[in-house]
Amino acid sequence: MTRFHTTVRRLGRGTLLVLALGAALALVAGCESKPDKPTKFVFANTSSFDTLDPHQSFDVGRVAPRINLYDGLYRWVDNPPELIPWLAESYTVSPDGLKWTFKLKQGSKFHDGAEITAEDVVYSTERIFGVGKGAAALFSRMLEPGRTKALDKYTVEFTLSKPSAIFLSIIPEIHVVNSALVKQHVKDGDWGAEWLSFNDAGSGSYVLDQFDPAVGWSAKRFDDHFYGWGENSLPEIEFRVVQEINTRVLGMLNGDYHGTDGYLPYDQVKRLQEAENVQVLDEESMRIFMFQLNNQRAPVSDVNVRRAISYAFNYDAFINDILSGSVERNPVPIPNNLWGVPKDVKGYSFDLEKAKAELAKAKVKPDRELTIGVLTGFNQTEQAATLLQDGLRQIGVKSRIESHPWPVMVGKMKEPSTSPDIVIYWISTYYADPNNWIGEMFNSAGWGTFKSSSFYKNPKVDALLDKALQSTDMAVRAKAYEEAARIVVDEAAGVWVYNTKWFGPYANNVQGVRFCPIGNGQEMRWVSFK
Amino acid sequence: MKLLVLTLKRALWFLPTVVGLIIITFIISRIIPADPVALVAGDTATPAQVAALRAKLGLDQPLPMQLLNYFEGLLRGDFGRSLFTTRPIADDLMHRLPATIELTLAAMLFTMVVGIPLGVISAMRRNSLLDHALRVVTVSGLAIASFWLGIMLQLWLAMQWDWLPLAGRIEGFKPTDITGMYTVDSLLTGNWSAFASAAAHLILPALTLAFPALATVVRFTRAGVLDVVQSNFVLYERAMGFPPVLITWKYILRNALISTVTQIGLLFGILLAGTVVIETVFNWPGIGYYAVSSILLSDYNAIMGFTIWSGVIFIIVNLLVDIGHTFIDPRESGA
Repeated sequence: MTRFHTTVRRLGRGTLLVLALGAALALVAGCESKPDKPTKFVFANTSSFDTLDPHQSFDVGRVAPRINLYDGLYRWVDNPPELIPWLAESYTVSPDGLKWTFKLKQGSKFHDGAEITAEDVVYSTERIFGVGKGAAALFSRMLEPGRTKALDKYTVEFTLSKPSAIFLSIIPEIHVVNSALVKQHVKDGDWGAEWLSFNDAGSGSYVLDQFDPAVGWSAKRFDDHFYGWGENSLPEIEFRVVQEINTRVLGMLNGDYHGTDGYLPYDQVKRLQEAENVQVLDEESMRIFMFQLNNQRAPVSDVNVRRAISYAFNYDAFINDILSGSVERNPVPIPNNLWGVPKDVKGYSFDLEKAKAELAKAKVKPDRELTIGVLTGFNQTEQAATLLQDGLRQIGVKSRIESHPWPVMVGKMKEPSTSPDIVIYWISTYYADPNNWIGEMFNSAGWGTFKSSSFYKNPKVDALLDKALQSTDMAVRAKAYEEAARIVVDEAAGVWVYNTKWFGPYANNVQGVRFCPIGNGQEMRWVSFK
Repeated sequence: MKLLVLTLKRALWFLPTVVGLIIITFIISRIIPADPVALVAGDTATPAQVAALRAKLGLDQPLPMQLLNYFEGLLRGDFGRSLFTTRPIADDLMHRLPATIELTLAAMLFTMVVGIPLGVISAMRRNSLLDHALRVVTVSGLAIASFWLGIMLQLWLAMQWDWLPLAGRIEGFKPTDITGMYTVDSLLTGNWSAFASAAAHLILPALTLAFPALATVVRFTRAGVLDVVQSNFVLYERAMGFPPVLITWKYILRNALISTVTQIGLLFGILLAGTVVIETVFNWPGIGYYAVSSILLSDYNAIMGFTIWSGVIFIIVNLLVDIGHTFIDPRESGA
């Protein structure tokens, strides 16, 4: 018997099998190695990209394809947000505020080389209405299908159904698509929606390269982009779907990703701040955290009960202890870093004596459990609810916390009779105008939308908000919003807690990130590797 | 012949089972008080706009009519479209299913190749140090939370020692699509670097998924072997001087495998449906997370599609297990 056979017998077949498996493992693992120099920027995104169609999505989590693959007439940049001409070079407004005329820059191209014309803008606008999703509901308040026309090859005119001061603010949401290309792929009157979910018909800074809805998408720099390019701009970008927080954080620490979302739990932010290979940028955002109060159902319909609730929440403990001071106190229904905020309003503070005094004045006493709605999977809403519940208990008000997934909560919030007494959530930045917050939340014309689920009704506030919406005079608008905010705060139509801070983790060798609350710093054309 | 009869008997129950599954899932998904149409319509949509979209999607019709329409679509092979992406559900499922199947197959392969021999060894060396050590492993496998295990493996094997990738299915994008299983596709196309990358990415999630299954297989195999080892035929074979290795691995194992094979079948179905945690931790783009997202968003057609596919696969796997029994124990085909 050979020495080999003896060795095998001694070791045993089982041991040898384990050794063989280990060798195979080492071989496979050894074949993988990280490149020394990054060739593309990889961003770990929290949301999945179900669709690349810019007219089918409007949410913040899926903003990256809209702002990197497509262009609009104007674009939001920087913080505080500034609206700059983009595909358009200028605009005019008729004296009655109804006709908005935009002149396009000439020679701007789509990714397939076709020139962008006014007809593409018209088609894109009509397509938003035709698809009926995304920003359609927002535009339909001021614009109707068929009221957009091309005056000539480079001039487009929008005729609004009523004056709207926010029209320019939401113009960036008309992502211009290549009409000729999309029309080739229309099926059963779907406006090309199925095709555009997977493909690119844009003119944006990057051209779609690959897309896998389960994995993410990658794109290459569009060298003929009208805006031109600086030195060292990213030749390739990839937005990868990584839904698990821990995996995103470990990936940043491991150098697998060059950037990830800026709204991580603060303990994870601190972990990244301590890492040698990660830099964390911070900016004040415009995403407010609030409690929506059901103003149409007793006892919360009583203004004194609402004030009592406002005094019963320990804002300082929540912000400083639970959130480690990572957010900014914001006591009004407009982000405090935006115009239109009444600077003289201090808002409510944690004061149980004042809460009890308000309750004593209430005509309708809380003689039942108040329901506090929180979002399943969003810990902060649950933490806030628990803290509020404790405060309410101390003033003799019982409450019950109900947790629901977001679609269920949206369904409940449509009607006063089904909406919880208190719902805790965030209001994100869709456009940088106070109307995005106070206008859509507290104008009674918006009842039935999820943002307006306070069911608050005050004719004076409605008049102020309508005036602010229709005027194009910034001073008039600011004054109207400030006055409306004072009334809404005084009547405690809601409880406003904080304004979010964005903590954007990036690899140390990344530079040029331009954070804007609309877009969350995910516009890659400004970014480069050092 | 008897095998054919057995298969036909099982197949007859296939259709009523699937139909029942569809009806129950349809009703449950529709009566939950969620409003996905409002979500699709957007935050600023008015009730009238939401109602219009609901009508366009056919969701304003009475429930029995919606169910009838759904069955009508199924007969045409149409699983409907996602409320959120407008893409055909069948496309979404076919896109993601291979990832989950690949992960589950890898986990089951590891479980069987390692678990069955360990179970036999543990039984044959009962109460030895090895047996006790394996008992610790099996109890751990059943007790340890899979997400914790997955994160620990990521921390040590990926982060600390940099032996394996942290997450994902492959570095970059996929190889040429044939089966959708990257390891298989890269082997079929001779793309060795893709194979290495895909295999490396598969190891950690497969190990994490396999660990509790391994524990179950080891325990069942051990119990089965202990039961059989006392049999008269084993005594007879020993007396006749059969090699111990032959007695253990051919005669004892075959008789001990009945319950293990049943467990493997059940485990396959459970793993297939239960990969959501592993897929989330390792960013594995399979059907598990798609299913959970669909449920949380109340994407009705996606929920139905996932349920039908899972149900069908579960039924087929159990049918195969039953057929496997007849090969292991031919007496079963006469039952």
